Amino acid sequence: MTATMQSKTEAADAPRRGRRNPGPGRKVRSRGGSLQFGHWWWALPGIALVIAIHYVATGIGGYFAFTNWTGIGSFKVVGLANFEAIFKDPTKLGALLNTLFLAFSSVFISNVAGLFIALGLNRVIKTRYVLRTLFFMPVVLSPLATAYIWKYIFDFDGPINVFLASIGAGDLAKPWLADPQWAIWTVLIVLVWGSTGFAMVIFMAGLAGVPVEIEEAAAIDGANMWQRFWNVTLPAIRPAVAIASTLGIVQGLRVFDPIMALTGGGPAGATETLATQVYKQAFALGNFGGGAALALVLAVIILFFAVIQQRLTRSNPED
Amino acid sequence: MTQHRFRGLKLGVLVIPTAAALALTGCSGATNAGSAGGSKEFSLTFATSNTIESPFQKLGEQYMAAHPDVKITFNAQPNDSYDQTVRTQLQAGNASDVIVTSPGSGTGRSILPLVDANFLEPLDDSAKKLVPVGSEALFGKDGKVYGQAAEMTVVGLVTNETAAKASGVSDFPSDFSSLEKQCSSLNSSGKSFFALAGSAAPNTGLMAMSLAASRVYAEDPKWNEKRVGKQTTFADSQGWKDALQAVVKLNEAGCFQKGAAGAGFDAITKGLASGSSLAGFIPAPSWKQLKTAAADSDFAVRALPSEKSSDKGFVYASANYSFSINAASKNKDAAKAFLDWAAEPEQTKAFAEIDGALPVSGLDSYDYASGAYKNVGDLIKDGKYGPLPNSQWPNSAVYDALATGVQGLLTGQKSVDQVLQAMDAAWG
Repeated sequence: MTATMQSKTEAADAPRRGRRNPGPGRKVRSRGGSLQFGHWWWALPGIALVIAIHYVATGIGGYFAFTNWTGIGSFKVVGLANFEAIFKDPTKLGALLNTLFLAFSSVFISNVAGLFIALGLNRVIKTRYVLRTLFFMPVVLSPLATAYIWKYIFDFDGPINVFLASIGAGDLAKPWLADPQWAIWTVLIVLVWGSTGFAMVIFMAGLAGVPVEIEEAAAIDGANMWQRFWNVTLPAIRPAVAIASTLGIVQGLRVFDPIMALTGGGPAGATETLATQVYKQAFALGNFGGGAALALVLAVIILFFAVIQQRLTRSNPED
Repeated sequence: MTQHRFRGLKLGVLVIPTAAALALTGCSGATNAGSAGGSKEFSLTFATSNTIESPFQKLGEQYMAAHPDVKITFNAQPNDSYDQTVRTQLQAGNASDVIVTSPGSGTGRSILPLVDANFLEPLDDSAKKLVPVGSEALFGKDGKVYGQAAEMTVVGLVTNETAAKASGVSDFPSDFSSLEKQCSSLNSSGKSFFALAGSAAPNTGLMAMSLAASRVYAEDPKWNEKRVGKQTTFADSQGWKDALQAVVKLNEAGCFQKGAAGAGFDAITKGLASGSSLAGFIPAPSWKQLKTAAADSDFAVRALPSEKSSDKGFVYASANYSFSINAASKNKDAAKAFLDWAAEPEQTKAFAEIDGALPVSGLDSYDYASGAYKNVGDLIKDGKYGPLPNSQWPNSAVYDALATGVQGLLTGQKSVDQVLQAMDAAWG
């Protein structure tokens, strides 16, 4: 009976397989006039749209990086002038440093925090489902809306300064988002708060694939908790680490809306990133060519770090 | 049967988009026909930044009431993205027929760059007559005018007179040192002389320009022209150095509310309406909106005190908003008829009253004594006023460098010289 069922399944699957080894019955079915799903040209509208929207539009945007277009009217091709201006401008270099600082710091902190939360909520705690939801909630909420709530929290008349005043530490109260030293850290706090839940979910998915038996075997062999984590759990979730850190870096490098809502890049450029500079140059200051050049630089940086990250965390085939 | 059904499906796959395309074509054809035939219709785009009905919309509604056969479609746009929206729509060819623009070249909605891109239609004599004396170069090129001034906007200080009296400031400071003293005494009572939106570039920039009024433009109203001719620079200008140094002095004297460097525009509204701050660097028509928020308080428009009381007084007063017609408009006749109507003295007066501004025509006979403008009436009558400096600057990056730099002065991140050099670099 099992053999019969198996052969029926194979017969049903046969037309969906590749054309290299056609089964004896399939020719008849394909030439018999019945409907075939999966003609390659069915994808043409989708392919055309993807090419037009993603690649042609991006290519045209990249072309403007080599022009002096203001967003309206005519323009001239200016070669690499926009790129020279970027690397000579201390504001842009500051924005580049801020971008890298925010991306790598937020990825590191949110991944470490996400991993510990995932480990803590993996099996033991009874309320883990509620806690998972609570930790994941910042990912679901609108970054822009939550950034405005954070802005209120960090406001000079906001809860933090009210709390400081209530415990007699009113001297420490400051406009956190307009303080040159603190502004970038407040932005980092908001970014980490928003991305930790995402890392947690990826790590929880990775931890679900770690066999309990191996951990138990390690425990029986005398491995302590740290040794079990370092030698058993962490190697097993290396793909999850790769995914979480790669996505985190890409997300961190192009972060835009929380910064615009919190500080607008201020005070005096202290929290400016490449993404906020792209917006300001292209859309606020009418320097579309310069904005496109910055966007191209940002894209190259994201690509560079994404590739590096993938290579560093690539699983060993021997594993 | 299955094959029939799938053939029907295949047919449907082809028929539905075809029908949809035909339907869309039909719709668009009908719309075009309608707009071409109905030349009494036109659209109007303007910026809004609050829930109060825009004076531009009120004017349009009055026009429709006076002309029942006319239909105006109002396209209100958020103020913070207005420039980009208008530019994108003009570039795409789907902008409104009438667009609210700004004279000069300093912002994204400014007339001159839009004229260079051939997006605006030249206007007729009724618009030419409304161009304020001395501002001709801001409204067009080669003898043609592309914007019709809507009102005269004074930019200086808006003060809560009731709160000032309650705080013991019966005499408004006449020079900078007495202003600093007032700041200190108010600061000790938990109030501030000025409410500043230190994180909002438009406000910090406006403050710096207000400080430059008596220090730069009172002495040399043609300073911008000299900067265009490269006869001077911001960094070499003692007046501009003094203006930015005054920002530092005001900050050190405690003239701004606590946490001013990180405050937004809401701090100005709250501060002035509640009376915890006495004055704000905001366009004069805001007095009317503040009055709606604090009906018990009286608000007035004033010029910022000069360095010394003997210095020349100066205030910015210019047509900061103008009506322009989209060169690609299909309803130019209807749009021009509206502009001709809006240029009539009754309408310029009515528009100014709606917005709390000064009328663009008939300023000589304007009764300053009884309104919010009584403190700046003499300056305007004596001709001691000029357009906002940034309307004559070549791009918006110069103003951005000033506004961002002032925030840096407040936080101690930048020096006066650094800010002025950044402005020169942005000038190009």
